[in-house]
Amino acid sequence: MTLKVENIKVAYGMIEALHGVSFAVADKSVVGLIGSNGAGKTTALKAISGLLPLSGGRITLDGRDINGLAPEAIVKLGIVHVPEGRRIFPRMTVRENLDLGAFTRHRDATVERDLGWVYELFPVLKEREEQLAGTLSGGQQQMLAMGRALMSKPRLLMLDEPSMGLSPIMQDKIFDLAREINASGTTLLLVEQNARAALELATHAYVLDTGAIALDGKGSELAHDERVRKAYLGEE
Amino acid sequence: MDILLQFFINALMLGAIYALAAVAYTLVYGILEMINFAFGELFMFGAFLVVSFMLPQVSLFGVMVPMPGLPFLLAAPLAIFIVAGMGYLIERCAYRPLRFAPRLAPLITAIAVSVALQNLAQSVWGAQELAYPSFFLLEAKPIQIGGAYISMVEIAVIVTAAVVMTALHFYVKKTRMGRAMRAAAQDVEAAALMGIPVNRVIAMAFIIGSGLAALAGIFYGAVYLFAHPHMGFMPGLKAMVAAVLGGIGNIRGAMLGGIVLGFAETFGAAYLPNGSAYRDAIAFGILILLLLFRPQGLLGTRLPNRLADRGAMAFKGSASAIDAGLARLSAFFAGRDLVRYASWGILAVVAVSVFFIFPSPYWARVFVFVLIYALLASGLNIVVGFAGLLDLGFVAFWAVGSYFTSILFVEVLAKGYGVDVSSVWWLFYVNLLLGGGLAALFGMMLGYPTLRLRGDYLAIMTLGFGEIIRLVATNWVDLTRGPMGIRGIPVPSLFGYKLGSPVQLYLLGLVLLALAVFLIALMVRSYLGRAWVAIREDEAAAEAMGINTARYKLYAYSAGGFFGGVTGVFFAHSQQYISPLSFTLFENILILMLIVLGGMGTLAGPIIGAAIWVVFLEVARDMPFIQQHPELRFMALGVLLVVLMIFRPQGLLGQKRQPLMMS
Repeated sequence: MTLKVENIKVAYGMIEALHGVSFAVADKSVVGLIGSNGAGKTTALKAISGLLPLSGGRITLDGRDINGLAPEAIVKLGIVHVPEGRRIFPRMTVRENLDLGAFTRHRDATVERDLGWVYELFPVLKEREEQLAGTLSGGQQQMLAMGRALMSKPRLLMLDEPSMGLSPIMQDKIFDLAREINASGTTLLLVEQNARAALELATHAYVLDTGAIALDGKGSELAHDERVRKAYLGEE
Repeated sequence: MDILLQFFINALMLGAIYALAAVAYTLVYGILEMINFAFGELFMFGAFLVVSFMLPQVSLFGVMVPMPGLPFLLAAPLAIFIVAGMGYLIERCAYRPLRFAPRLAPLITAIAVSVALQNLAQSVWGAQELAYPSFFLLEAKPIQIGGAYISMVEIAVIVTAAVVMTALHFYVKKTRMGRAMRAAAQDVEAAALMGIPVNRVIAMAFIIGSGLAALAGIFYGAVYLFAHPHMGFMPGLKAMVAAVLGGIGNIRGAMLGGIVLGFAETFGAAYLPNGSAYRDAIAFGILILLLLFRPQGLLGTRLPNRLADRGAMAFKGSASAIDAGLARLSAFFAGRDLVRYASWGILAVVAVSVFFIFPSPYWARVFVFVLIYALLASGLNIVVGFAGLLDLGFVAFWAVGSYFTSILFVEVLAKGYGVDVSSVWWLFYVNLLLGGGLAALFGMMLGYPTLRLRGDYLAIMTLGFGEIIRLVATNWVDLTRGPMGIRGIPVPSLFGYKLGSPVQLYLLGLVLLALAVFLIALMVRSYLGRAWVAIREDEAAAEAMGINTARYKLYAYSAGGFFGGVTGVFFAHSQQYISPLSFTLFENILILMLIVLGGMGTLAGPIIGAAIWVVFLEVARDMPFIQQHPELRFMALGVLLVVLMIFRPQGLLGQKRQPLMMS
């Protein structure tokens, strides 16, 4: 699985939010996308998952163009996007949410097996199986959102700000789980404002600045880059 | 006791019909948060199609066409199938292009679709009732229970509705597609990200909803034994009320709401004083009370419009071929100050000289109507165009002004005290202000309970208010002389000099319009207009900027109401006769469409829209094709509006932006 984003442009009405962004996500890697508010991180993810049309450039998965496909077709190809703010279905039970994650798949034994795996990863979801998702805590909702996405059996999991609004302990837990998901063979594309944690996890990272890639490199290298440390890690 | 039982059966039957149609509204609202006004018309198409299929021959477009004469049990599914297909096409062609448009756009489009469909039906089947042929349900003997009778049709309605509702309940709860529907209703974007084909889910909601509406219409027709182009209008509105009553978006709520409404209407008509006359007002009365005290509905958990922050009417111009030409025209009207004043000047000169160009009193009378519509549209434009609040009860203000001056002059002064009305000619001018003021007060009254509501709920609430005023005007015979109307309203005069000729009335109306536009321009360019537009663009942001949105919405309603009332006074005296027939919801919709046609949120738009439409109506009168099918004019307007909303939402001559500052 290789995702390539080549020189993409995305505009909201008259305003262009991405002015030609390129990056690549290699198989089984963790790629971090960091940058400040409004840099275009979420826009890039929405373009990949088919929610926003491109006004230029192309996105390929294993050499095949995926721009212009409907979101459901992209999920079927194995790319799933966990949106910012979790966006679970609040008036459905935990179990129903997970079930919808497997919407594009044929019902068979592998779905049951993946459900078992998701419950193993997130035991709290098993405990609260019949509870309405809207009554879960923020951290539990984030786990549900990730579990729901995993139910589609993705090859590439895109996480948009998974740590947002969570306590530091819960943030650590979410990043540990992300690492575990990657270790099981799922490629990750991680968008984060918490640059430190993202760079720690990422095998490769890109820094987005006002709609363009400003820097890129290995996660550990960027964490020591002076510009990154000043601008995003809050160090002098 | 027997009579109670009889009412109970009738109520249950009526409630079942409302419930079926209410579910249609709720299914679509649940996902798209839009009220598909066209369900009322699809309801009507269901009845027409079933009758057509059952008859051996039917007159279509005035031509007798042989029909298959199918049995009911074949004709009904076929009709439902076709109407479901129509629902799909409407969604695909009219609503889907507007999926991400500002909130008001799909709502106005739905109204336009509804107008087009209603007039299409009138073209196809004619304006007469089409009687149901007899079939087995009608021929069967009613069953006697105690002292009450229940007909086979009623049994069929109740049983079928129960079965369909149960099936739907399981469909939504248990099936893959049903679950996808619920997910889309909770969060469309997240559903898409989970691989749910959102477009298909939405199409499915329209197909099921349209089928349900058709089924309800078929039964409604079977109970009252006819199909008619207007038959879907009232039941459609009431089904919408039922959906809101139950908690819109909630399927079980819609079922409950339908049944509750059926009972309230049946028993209210039977036991309330003068109940049967006000039968139709009961639903709207309940609606207003509900929205005041429990806007989320009986079973609802959420308040409507979580997407209200989509902004209301910040239109972008779409790039099309027509656009370039029209843009130049708009620039002419919008351009720099000098150009703007010059163009207003030219408009004024044209307006004054109109009766030299068309010297006949006939055309002068037509232009009086242009002015009346232009005045009404300008008033409504304050509420809809500037403040972004959809108002379907605006005709009520017009009615208040008209009735106020008519009752005072004719019923009180002339008949009550025997005053010679020509001696109090000045009262007309006072009444312009008083009638306007009274209507503004009504505007406050209407505005107050709606302050917490946005978008669609507001539209339904105002619609209910407008209908209640019309029903009062029709039924409070002692005050308004009911459907007979009030005759002999004196023409305006000045120091005893009668301004009765069409040309004089035209000039008087022109003065009023000029004053109205001047006042509206002053308001729009003051802090008032800026507050209104801020509310229109983003209510939450406006609130955050310290704008007391409740207060400015009230100002918008009362300002709009004031001009509605003023127009009412002028209307009554220039026509010398008024009746409740002038103040219908259709009239309100028409005024709304004229604003959209000309350009919402602009000063000249409403006037241009009114001029184009009224003149077109008169010109079209001479076309033989139109003479045969007069309703085609309205159908064309409906279709034109749908096209406009998609390709040029700012209206024909609408400038992109009305300046909000004094320049």
